[in-house]
Amino acid sequence: MTWHLECTINDAPVTRDIPEDLTLLDFLRDHLGLTGSKGACLEGECGSCTVHLDDAPVCSCLTLAAQAHGRSVCTVEALAESTTLDPIQQAFIDTGAAQCGYCTPGLLMAGRTLLDRTAFPEANHLLTSIEGNLCRCTGYASIIEAIQIAANESKA
Amino acid sequence: MFYRPDTFAAALRLKADHAAAIKPISGGTDLVVGLNRGQSLGVDVLDLTAAKDYRRIDHADGSLILSGGTTFAQLEQLDIACLARAAASVGGPQIRNRGTIAGNLATASPAGDGSVALLALDAEVELAHADRGTRWLRLIDYFEDYRQTALGDDELISHVRIPTPSALQASAWYKIGKRGAVNISLVCAAAARFLDGRICLAFGSVAPIPMRAVQTEKLLQGQPLTGALLHQAAQAASAEVKPIDDWRASADYRKAMCAVLARRVLEQLQTDDERQMP
Ligand SMILES: Cc1cc2nc3c(=O)[nH]c(=O)nc-3n(C[C@H](O)[C@H](O)[C@H](O)COP(=O)(O)OP(=O)(O)OC[C@H]3O[C@@H](n4cnc5c(N)ncnc54)[C@H](O)[C@@H]3O)c2cc1C
Repeated sequence: MTWHLECTINDAPVTRDIPEDLTLLDFLRDHLGLTGSKGACLEGECGSCTVHLDDAPVCSCLTLAAQAHGRSVCTVEALAESTTLDPIQQAFIDTGAAQCGYCTPGLLMAGRTLLDRTAFPEANHLLTSIEGNLCRCTGYASIIEAIQIAANESKA
Repeated sequence: MFYRPDTFAAALRLKADHAAAIKPISGGTDLVVGLNRGQSLGVDVLDLTAAKDYRRIDHADGSLILSGGTTFAQLEQLDIACLARAAASVGGPQIRNRGTIAGNLATASPAGDGSVALLALDAEVELAHADRGTRWLRLIDYFEDYRQTALGDDELISHVRIPTPSALQASAWYKIGKRGAVNISLVCAAAARFLDGRICLAFGSVAPIPMRAVQTEKLLQGQPLTGALLHQAAQAASAEVKPIDDWRASADYRKAMCAVLARRVLEQLQTDDERQMP
Protein backbone atom coordinates (compact mmCIF):
# COMPACT_ATOMS: atom_id res chain seq x y z
CA MET A 1 0.00 0.00 0.00
CA THR A 2 1.08 3.54 -0.56
CA TRP A 3 0.89 6.57 1.65
CA HIS A 4 0.27 10.04 0.29
CA LEU A 5 3.10 11.98 1.90
CA GLU A 6 3.01 15.73 2.28
CA CYS A 7 5.89 17.31 4.12
CA THR A 8 8.53 20.01 3.89
CA ILE A 9 12.05 19.08 2.90
CA ASN A 10 14.77 21.70 3.05
CA ASP A 11 12.11 24.42 3.12
CA ALA A 12 10.35 23.16 -0.03
CA PRO A 13 6.95 21.45 0.00
CA VAL A 14 7.11 17.83 -1.14
CA THR A 15 4.17 15.63 -2.14
CA ARG A 16 4.69 11.97 -3.10
CA ASP A 17 2.99 8.60 -3.00
CA ILE A 18 5.38 6.29 -1.17
CA PRO A 19 5.46 2.73 0.16
CA GLU A 20 4.34 2.73 3.80
CA ASP A 21 7.39 0.91 5.07
CA LEU A 22 9.89 3.15 3.28
CA THR A 23 12.40 4.72 5.64
CA LEU A 24 13.02 8.44 5.55
CA LEU A 25 16.63 7.71 4.58
CA ASP A 26 15.63 5.69 1.52
CA PHE A 27 13.03 8.28 0.60
CA LEU A 28 15.58 11.08 0.70
CA ARG A 29 18.23 9.15 -1.22
CA ASP A 30 16.31 7.00 -3.69
CA HIS A 31 13.20 9.09 -4.33
CA LEU A 32 14.51 12.62 -4.01
CA GLY A 33 18.15 12.14 -4.97
CA LEU A 34 19.32 13.75 -1.74
CA THR A 35 22.25 11.41 -1.25
CA GLY A 36 24.05 13.50 1.39
CA SER A 37 22.56 11.45 4.22
CA LYS A 38 24.30 8.09 4.38
CA GLY A 39 23.10 4.67 5.40
CA ALA A 40 25.82 2.73 7.20
CA CYS A 41 24.72 0.65 10.20
CA LEU A 42 20.93 1.01 9.73
CA GLU A 43 20.53 0.38 13.48
CA GLY A 44 20.83 3.86 14.95
CA GLU A 45 24.39 3.38 16.19
CA CYS A 46 26.47 5.37 13.71
CA GLY A 47 24.51 8.55 13.06
CA SER A 48 25.57 8.80 9.40
CA CYS A 49 21.93 9.20 8.41
CA THR A 50 21.25 12.10 10.81
CA VAL A 51 18.74 14.70 9.59
CA HIS A 52 16.72 17.29 11.48
CA LEU A 53 13.04 16.49 11.96
CA ASP A 54 11.34 19.67 13.15
CA ASP A 55 14.76 20.91 14.28
CA ALA A 56 15.71 17.81 16.31
CA PRO A 57 18.43 15.45 15.06
CA VAL A 58 17.09 11.96 14.37
CA CYS A 59 18.27 8.84 12.55
CA SER A 60 16.51 8.91 9.19
CA CYS A 61 17.19 5.16 8.88
CA LEU A 62 14.90 4.49 11.87
CA THR A 63 12.16 6.94 10.91
CA LEU A 64 9.51 5.93 8.43
CA ALA A 65 9.11 8.47 5.65
CA ALA A 66 5.37 8.45 6.30
CA GLN A 67 6.09 9.64 9.85
CA ALA A 68 7.46 12.87 8.38
CA HIS A 69 3.96 13.68 7.17
CA GLY A 70 3.08 17.27 8.00
CA ARG A 71 6.54 17.90 9.39
CA SER A 72 9.70 19.63 8.33
CA VAL A 73 12.88 17.76 7.42
CA CYS A 74 16.26 19.38 6.98
CA THR A 75 19.20 17.52 5.43
CA VAL A 76 22.89 18.28 5.02
CA GLU A 77 22.13 19.59 1.52
CA ALA A 78 20.46 22.62 3.12
CA LEU A 79 23.46 23.73 5.20
CA ALA A 80 25.24 25.67 2.45
CA GLU A 81 23.57 28.64 0.82
CA SER A 82 24.36 28.19 -2.86
CA THR A 83 28.18 28.25 -2.89
CA THR A 84 28.63 29.69 0.59
CA LEU A 85 29.37 26.95 3.08
CA ASP A 86 27.95 26.87 6.58
CA PRO A 87 30.67 27.78 9.12
CA ILE A 88 30.66 24.23 10.41
CA GLN A 89 31.30 22.86 6.91
CA GLN A 90 34.17 25.29 6.40
CA ALA A 91 35.61 24.36 9.80
CA PHE A 92 35.52 20.65 8.93
CA ILE A 93 37.56 21.42 5.81
CA ASP A 94 39.99 23.66 7.66
CA THR A 95 40.74 21.13 10.40
CA GLY A 96 40.80 18.08 8.14
CA ALA A 97 37.86 16.61 10.03
CA ALA A 98 36.70 14.65 7.00
CA GLN A 99 38.62 11.75 5.52
CA CYS A 100 36.54 9.08 3.81
CA GLY A 101 33.59 11.42 4.39
CA TYR A 102 30.96 8.83 5.08
CA CYS A 103 30.21 10.04 8.61
CA THR A 104 30.62 13.72 7.76
CA PRO A 105 27.04 14.66 6.81
CA GLY A 106 25.70 13.13 10.04
CA LEU A 107 28.37 14.84 12.12
CA LEU A 108 27.63 18.17 10.46
CA MET A 109 23.94 17.84 11.30
CA ALA A 110 24.66 16.75 14.89
CA GLY A 111 27.16 19.57 15.37
CA ARG A 112 24.82 22.09 13.77
CA THR A 113 22.18 21.23 16.38
CA LEU A 114 24.59 22.09 19.16
CA LEU A 115 25.41 25.44 17.55
CA ASP A 116 21.71 26.19 17.04
CA ARG A 117 20.86 25.44 20.67
CA THR A 118 23.89 26.45 22.71
CA ALA A 119 25.51 29.85 22.37
CA PHE A 120 28.59 29.02 24.41
CA PRO A 121 29.14 25.26 24.25
CA GLU A 122 31.54 23.81 26.81
CA ALA A 123 33.82 20.86 26.24
CA ASN A 124 31.30 18.33 27.53
CA HIS A 125 28.59 19.79 25.25
CA LEU A 126 30.89 19.30 22.27
CA LEU A 127 31.41 15.67 23.21
CA THR A 128 27.78 14.81 23.94
CA SER A 129 26.57 16.53 20.78
CA ILE A 130 28.30 13.86 18.68
CA GLU A 131 27.68 10.98 21.10
CA GLY A 132 25.43 9.34 18.51
CA ASN A 133 27.92 9.56 15.63
CA LEU A 134 30.78 7.23 14.74
CA CYS A 135 33.87 8.13 12.73
CA ARG A 136 36.37 5.44 11.82
CA CYS A 137 38.96 7.54 9.95
CA THR A 138 40.08 10.77 11.51
CA GLY A 139 39.23 10.11 15.13
CA TYR A 140 37.35 12.74 17.02
CA ALA A 141 39.95 15.39 17.91
CA SER A 142 39.74 17.26 14.60
CA ILE A 143 35.95 16.93 14.54
CA ILE A 144 35.59 18.44 18.02
CA GLU A 145 38.03 21.17 17.04
CA ALA A 146 35.95 21.95 13.95
CA ILE A 147 32.73 22.26 15.93
CA GLN A 148 34.52 24.48 18.46
CA ILE A 149 35.82 26.74 15.69
CA ALA A 150 32.35 26.99 14.16
CA ALA A 151 30.92 27.83 17.59
CA ASN A 152 33.47 30.62 18.04
CA GLU A 153 32.60 31.99 14.61
CA SER A 154 28.87 31.95 15.26
CA LYS A 155 29.55 34.08 18.34
CA ALA A 156 31.73 36.56 16.48
CA MET B 1 -2.40 0.19 5.62
CA PHE B 2 -0.63 2.98 7.46
CA TYR B 3 -2.72 4.93 9.94
CA ARG B 4 -1.64 8.24 11.37
CA PRO B 5 -4.43 9.51 13.63
CA ASP B 6 -4.07 12.98 15.10
CA THR B 7 -5.53 12.12 18.49
CA PHE B 8 -4.77 9.33 20.91
CA ALA B 9 -8.49 8.55 21.19
CA ALA B 10 -8.58 7.79 17.46
CA ALA B 11 -5.50 5.57 17.88
CA LEU B 12 -7.25 3.65 20.66
CA ARG B 13 -10.28 3.10 18.41
CA LEU B 14 -8.08 1.68 15.64
CA LYS B 15 -6.21 -0.58 18.07
CA ALA B 16 -9.45 -1.90 19.57
CA ASP B 17 -10.89 -2.63 16.13
CA HIS B 18 -7.79 -4.22 14.58
CA ALA B 19 -6.15 -5.80 17.66
CA ALA B 20 -3.09 -7.84 16.66
CA ALA B 21 -3.57 -6.92 12.98
CA ILE B 22 -2.20 -3.44 13.62
CA LYS B 23 1.19 -2.56 15.10
CA PRO B 24 1.81 0.71 16.92
CA ILE B 25 4.93 2.64 16.04
CA SER B 26 6.32 5.61 17.84
CA GLY B 27 10.04 6.42 17.69
CA GLY B 28 10.70 3.31 15.61
CA THR B 29 14.02 2.83 17.43
CA ASP B 30 13.16 -0.80 18.14
CA LEU B 31 10.70 -1.52 15.35
CA VAL B 32 12.54 -0.08 12.36
CA VAL B 33 15.81 -1.74 13.37
CA GLY B 34 13.99 -5.02 12.71
CA LEU B 35 12.56 -3.69 9.45
CA ASN B 36 16.05 -2.76 8.25
CA ARG B 37 17.20 -6.29 9.06
CA GLY B 38 14.64 -7.63 6.64
CA GLN B 39 11.82 -8.45 9.04
CA SER B 40 8.60 -7.28 7.46
CA LEU B 41 6.11 -5.48 9.66
CA GLY B 42 3.60 -8.01 8.39
CA VAL B 43 0.62 -6.06 9.63
CA ASP B 44 -0.89 -2.61 9.34
CA VAL B 45 0.95 0.20 11.07
CA LEU B 46 -0.49 2.62 13.61
CA ASP B 47 1.72 5.69 13.84
CA LEU B 48 1.27 7.40 17.21
CA THR B 49 3.58 10.33 16.55
CA ALA B 50 0.91 12.61 15.09
CA ALA B 51 -1.32 12.33 18.18
CA LYS B 52 -1.00 15.76 19.71
CA ASP B 53 -1.97 14.68 23.20
CA TYR B 54 0.62 11.91 23.34
CA ARG B 55 3.80 13.72 24.43
CA ARG B 56 2.66 15.51 27.56
CA ILE B 57 4.07 15.57 31.06
CA ASP B 58 1.47 16.56 33.66
CA HIS B 59 1.30 16.93 37.41
CA ALA B 60 -1.93 15.69 39.00
CA ASP B 61 -2.73 15.06 42.67
CA GLY B 62 0.94 15.03 43.56
CA SER B 63 1.68 12.42 40.89
CA LEU B 64 3.70 12.92 37.78
CA ILE B 65 1.85 11.64 34.71
CA LEU B 66 3.87 10.93 31.58
CA SER B 67 2.12 10.32 28.28
CA GLY B 68 3.33 7.17 26.56
CA GLY B 69 4.94 9.24 23.82
CA THR B 70 7.24 11.09 26.21
CA THR B 71 10.70 10.83 24.67
CA PHE B 72 13.97 10.13 26.45
CA ALA B 73 15.00 13.68 25.52
CA GLN B 74 12.05 14.95 27.58
CA LEU B 75 12.75 12.54 30.45
CA GLU B 76 16.36 13.73 30.61
CA GLN B 77 15.06 17.13 31.73
CA LEU B 78 13.06 15.77 34.66
CA ASP B 79 13.98 16.45 38.24
CA ILE B 80 13.92 12.77 39.19
CA ALA B 81 17.52 11.64 39.27
CA CYS B 82 17.20 7.96 38.43
CA LEU B 83 14.79 8.50 35.55
CA ALA B 84 16.65 11.49 34.10
CA ARG B 85 19.98 9.70 34.26
CA ALA B 86 18.59 6.48 32.84
CA ALA B 87 17.09 8.46 29.94
CA ALA B 88 20.34 10.33 29.34
CA SER B 89 22.15 7.00 29.11
CA VAL B 90 20.02 5.74 26.21
CA GLY B 91 21.62 5.70 22.74
CA GLY B 92 22.77 9.02 21.31
CA PRO B 93 20.78 12.25 20.95
CA GLN B 94 19.20 10.96 17.73
CA ILE B 95 17.75 7.97 19.60
CA ARG B 96 16.70 10.00 22.64
CA ASN B 97 14.82 12.45 20.42
CA ARG B 98 12.69 9.60 19.06
CA GLY B 99 12.59 6.73 21.54
CA THR B 100 9.60 6.80 23.89
CA ILE B 101 8.77 5.48 27.32
CA ALA B 102 5.80 3.46 25.98
CA GLY B 103 8.08 1.90 23.37
CA ASN B 104 10.51 0.95 26.12
CA LEU B 105 7.78 -0.66 28.24
CA ALA B 106 6.15 -2.42 25.27
CA THR B 107 9.44 -3.81 23.96
CA ALA B 108 10.03 -5.02 27.54
CA SER B 109 13.70 -5.74 27.00
CA PRO B 110 15.39 -6.92 30.21
CA ALA B 111 17.90 -4.14 29.46
CA GLY B 112 15.23 -1.42 29.15
CA ASP B 113 16.73 1.51 31.02
CA GLY B 114 13.49 3.46 31.27
CA SER B 115 11.71 0.35 32.54
CA VAL B 116 14.29 -0.24 35.28
CA ALA B 117 14.21 3.37 36.51
CA LEU B 118 10.41 3.38 36.58
CA LEU B 119 10.35 0.05 38.45
CA ALA B 120 12.50 1.55 41.20
CA LEU B 121 10.12 4.51 41.37
CA ASP B 122 7.28 2.02 41.91
CA ALA B 123 5.56 3.57 38.89
CA GLU B 124 2.29 2.43 37.36
CA VAL B 125 1.42 1.99 33.71
CA GLU B 126 -1.98 2.74 32.23
CA LEU B 127 -3.24 0.27 29.64
CA ALA B 128 -6.09 1.71 27.62
CA HIS B 129 -8.87 0.25 25.49
CA ALA B 130 -11.33 2.31 23.44
CA ASP B 131 -14.42 0.64 24.95
CA ARG B 132 -13.30 -1.04 28.17
CA GLY B 133 -11.57 2.11 29.38
CA THR B 134 -8.25 2.10 31.18
CA ARG B 135 -6.58 0.01 33.85
CA TRP B 136 -3.61 0.96 35.98
CA LEU B 137 -1.04 -1.68 36.79
CA ARG B 138 2.00 -1.43 39.00
CA LEU B 139 5.04 -2.04 36.84
CA ILE B 140 6.06 -4.89 39.11
CA ASP B 141 2.89 -6.66 37.90
CA TYR B 142 3.25 -5.55 34.27
CA PHE B 143 6.39 -7.47 33.26
CA GLU B 144 5.49 -11.16 33.07
CA ASP B 145 8.20 -13.07 31.27
CA TYR B 146 10.87 -12.52 28.64
CA ARG B 147 9.39 -9.77 26.45
CA GLN B 148 5.92 -10.70 27.69
CA THR B 149 3.76 -8.18 29.47
CA ALA B 150 0.21 -7.65 30.64
CA LEU B 151 -0.46 -5.41 27.61
CA GLY B 152 -3.40 -6.82 25.61
CA ASP B 153 -3.46 -7.10 21.82
CA ASP B 154 -6.24 -4.55 21.63
CA GLU B 155 -4.73 -2.07 24.11
CA LEU B 156 -2.23 0.75 24.00
CA ILE B 157 0.01 2.10 26.72
CA SER B 158 -1.43 5.53 27.37
CA HIS B 159 0.34 6.87 30.46
CA VAL B 160 2.87 6.17 33.14
CA ARG B 161 2.28 7.47 36.64
CA ILE B 162 4.96 8.04 39.19
CA PRO B 163 3.06 7.98 42.45
CA THR B 164 3.46 11.02 44.61
CA PRO B 165 6.85 12.23 43.48
CA SER B 166 6.53 14.69 46.34
CA ALA B 167 6.95 11.65 48.58
CA LEU B 168 10.19 10.75 46.85
CA GLN B 169 13.25 11.66 48.85
CA ALA B 170 16.09 10.53 46.63
CA SER B 171 16.78 8.24 43.72
CA ALA B 172 19.88 6.87 42.09
CA TRP B 173 20.95 5.20 38.88
CA TYR B 174 23.98 3.32 37.70
CA LYS B 175 24.69 1.50 34.45
CA ILE B 176 27.63 -0.66 33.45
CA GLY B 177 28.22 -1.00 29.75
CA LYS B 178 31.10 -1.46 27.39
CA ARG B 179 31.53 2.20 26.50
CA GLY B 180 30.42 5.68 27.39
CA ALA B 181 27.82 6.32 24.71
CA VAL B 182 25.25 4.34 22.71
CA ASN B 183 25.51 1.75 25.38
CA ILE B 184 23.21 -1.20 26.11
CA SER B 185 23.71 -2.17 29.74
CA LEU B 186 25.56 -5.24 30.91
CA VAL B 187 23.89 -4.53 34.23
CA CYS B 188 22.02 -1.46 35.41
CA ALA B 189 20.50 -0.59 38.76
CA ALA B 190 18.09 2.00 40.09
CA ALA B 191 17.04 2.76 43.64
CA ALA B 192 14.56 5.13 45.20
CA ARG B 193 13.87 6.13 48.79
CA PHE B 194 10.49 7.53 49.73
CA LEU B 195 9.73 9.86 52.60
CA ASP B 196 8.04 7.05 54.52
CA GLY B 197 11.42 5.28 54.59
CA ARG B 198 10.56 2.67 51.96
CA ILE B 199 13.38 1.77 49.56
CA CYS B 200 12.86 0.23 46.11
CA LEU B 201 15.67 -1.41 44.17
CA ALA B 202 15.53 -2.56 40.54
CA PHE B 203 17.98 -4.17 38.11
CA GLY B 204 18.25 -4.50 34.34
CA SER B 205 19.92 -7.22 32.22
CA VAL B 206 20.01 -9.73 35.07
CA ALA B 207 16.74 -11.64 34.59
CA PRO B 208 14.23 -12.36 31.80
CA ILE B 209 12.47 -9.14 32.76
CA PRO B 210 13.49 -5.81 34.23
CA MET B 211 13.28 -6.86 37.88
CA ARG B 212 12.61 -5.49 41.34
CA ALA B 213 14.89 -7.01 43.96
CA VAL B 214 12.08 -7.55 46.46
CA GLN B 215 14.04 -9.87 48.76
CA THR B 216 16.84 -7.35 49.10
CA GLU B 217 14.33 -4.57 49.62
CA LYS B 218 12.92 -6.43 52.64
CA LEU B 219 16.31 -6.27 54.36
CA LEU B 220 16.40 -2.53 53.91
CA GLN B 221 12.99 -1.49 55.16
CA GLY B 222 13.07 0.78 58.15
CA GLN B 223 16.78 0.23 58.74
CA PRO B 224 19.52 2.86 58.74
CA LEU B 225 21.88 2.19 55.82
CA THR B 226 24.92 1.22 57.87
CA GLY B 227 28.04 -0.25 56.32
CA ALA B 228 27.07 -3.69 57.55
CA LEU B 229 23.60 -3.44 56.04
CA LEU B 230 24.99 -2.24 52.71
CA HIS B 231 27.27 -5.25 52.64
CA GLN B 232 24.39 -7.58 53.45
CA ALA B 233 22.18 -5.97 50.79
CA ALA B 234 24.90 -6.27 48.16
CA GLN B 235 25.21 -9.99 48.84
CA ALA B 236 21.45 -10.44 48.84
CA ALA B 237 21.03 -8.62 45.51
CA SER B 238 23.73 -10.74 43.93
CA ALA B 239 21.99 -13.90 45.16
CA GLU B 240 18.55 -12.74 44.11
CA VAL B 241 19.18 -11.90 40.45
CA LYS B 242 19.02 -14.56 37.73
CA PRO B 243 21.31 -13.49 34.93
CA ILE B 244 22.32 -15.52 31.89
CA ASP B 245 25.57 -15.83 29.96
CA ASP B 246 25.40 -14.05 26.64
CA TRP B 247 27.78 -12.37 24.24
CA ARG B 248 27.69 -9.17 26.27
CA ALA B 249 28.74 -10.63 29.62
CA SER B 250 28.80 -13.79 31.71
CA ALA B 251 26.24 -14.58 34.36
CA ASP B 252 28.96 -14.65 37.03
CA TYR B 253 30.17 -11.20 36.06
CA ARG B 254 26.65 -9.86 36.16
CA LYS B 255 26.03 -11.32 39.61
CA ALA B 256 29.23 -9.78 40.90
CA MET B 257 28.30 -6.41 39.38
CA CYS B 258 24.88 -6.52 40.99
CA ALA B 259 26.58 -6.52 44.38
CA VAL B 260 28.71 -3.54 43.32
CA LEU B 261 25.80 -1.60 41.85
CA ALA B 262 23.46 -2.33 44.74
CA ARG B 263 26.01 -0.79 47.05
CA ARG B 264 26.61 2.19 44.76
CA VAL B 265 22.98 3.16 44.25
CA LEU B 266 22.18 2.70 47.94
CA GLU B 267 25.18 4.79 48.95
CA GLN B 268 24.09 7.43 46.49
CA LEU B 269 20.64 7.53 48.11
CA GLN B 270 22.39 8.41 51.33
CA THR B 271 24.65 11.12 49.99
CA ASP B 272 22.13 12.74 47.66
CA ASP B 273 20.05 15.09 49.70
CA GLU B 274 18.32 16.11 46.50
CA ARG B 275 14.72 17.10 47.09
CA GLN B 276 12.76 15.81 44.17
CA MET B 277 10.06 17.52 42.18
CA PRO B 278 8.65 20.96 42.82
C1 LIG C 1 21.19 2.75 18.74
C2 LIG C 1 20.17 2.38 19.77
C3 LIG C 1 20.51 2.45 21.11
C4 LIG C 1 19.59 2.12 22.09
N1 LIG C 1 19.96 2.21 23.39
C5 LIG C 1 19.09 1.88 24.36
C6 LIG C 1 19.48 1.97 25.72
O1 LIG C 1 20.60 2.37 26.06
N2 LIG C 1 18.55 1.64 26.66
C7 LIG C 1 17.29 1.23 26.33
O2 LIG C 1 16.50 0.97 27.21
N3 LIG C 1 16.90 1.13 25.04
C8 LIG C 1 17.76 1.44 24.05
N4 LIG C 1 17.39 1.31 22.74
C9 LIG C 1 16.06 0.76 22.42
C10 LIG C 1 14.94 1.76 22.16
O3 LIG C 1 15.44 3.05 21.86
C11 LIG C 1 13.99 1.89 23.34
O4 LIG C 1 13.47 0.63 23.69
C12 LIG C 1 12.84 2.85 23.08
O5 LIG C 1 12.20 3.13 24.29
C13 LIG C 1 11.80 2.35 22.08
O6 LIG C 1 10.82 3.36 21.92
P1 LIG C 1 10.23 3.72 20.46
O7 LIG C 1 9.20 4.77 20.65
O8 LIG C 1 11.32 4.03 19.51
O9 LIG C 1 9.55 2.33 20.09
P2 LIG C 1 9.08 1.71 18.66
O10 LIG C 1 10.25 1.12 17.97
O11 LIG C 1 8.25 2.72 17.94
O12 LIG C 1 8.15 0.57 19.21
C14 LIG C 1 8.68 -0.46 20.02
C15 LIG C 1 7.58 -1.44 20.41
O13 LIG C 1 6.64 -0.80 21.27
C16 LIG C 1 5.33 -0.88 20.74
N5 LIG C 1 4.66 0.35 21.15
C17 LIG C 1 5.10 1.63 20.97
N6 LIG C 1 4.25 2.49 21.57
C18 LIG C 1 3.25 1.75 22.13
C19 LIG C 1 2.08 2.07 22.88
N7 LIG C 1 1.76 3.33 23.20
N8 LIG C 1 1.29 1.07 23.29
C20 LIG C 1 1.60 -0.21 23.00
N9 LIG C 1 2.69 -0.58 22.29
C21 LIG C 1 3.50 0.39 21.86
C22 LIG C 1 5.53 -1.07 19.25
O14 LIG C 1 4.44 -1.71 18.64
C23 LIG C 1 6.78 -1.94 19.23
O15 LIG C 1 6.45 -3.28 19.46
C24 LIG C 1 18.28 1.68 21.73
C25 LIG C 1 17.93 1.63 20.39
C26 LIG C 1 18.85 1.97 19.41
C27 LIG C 1 18.44 1.92 17.97
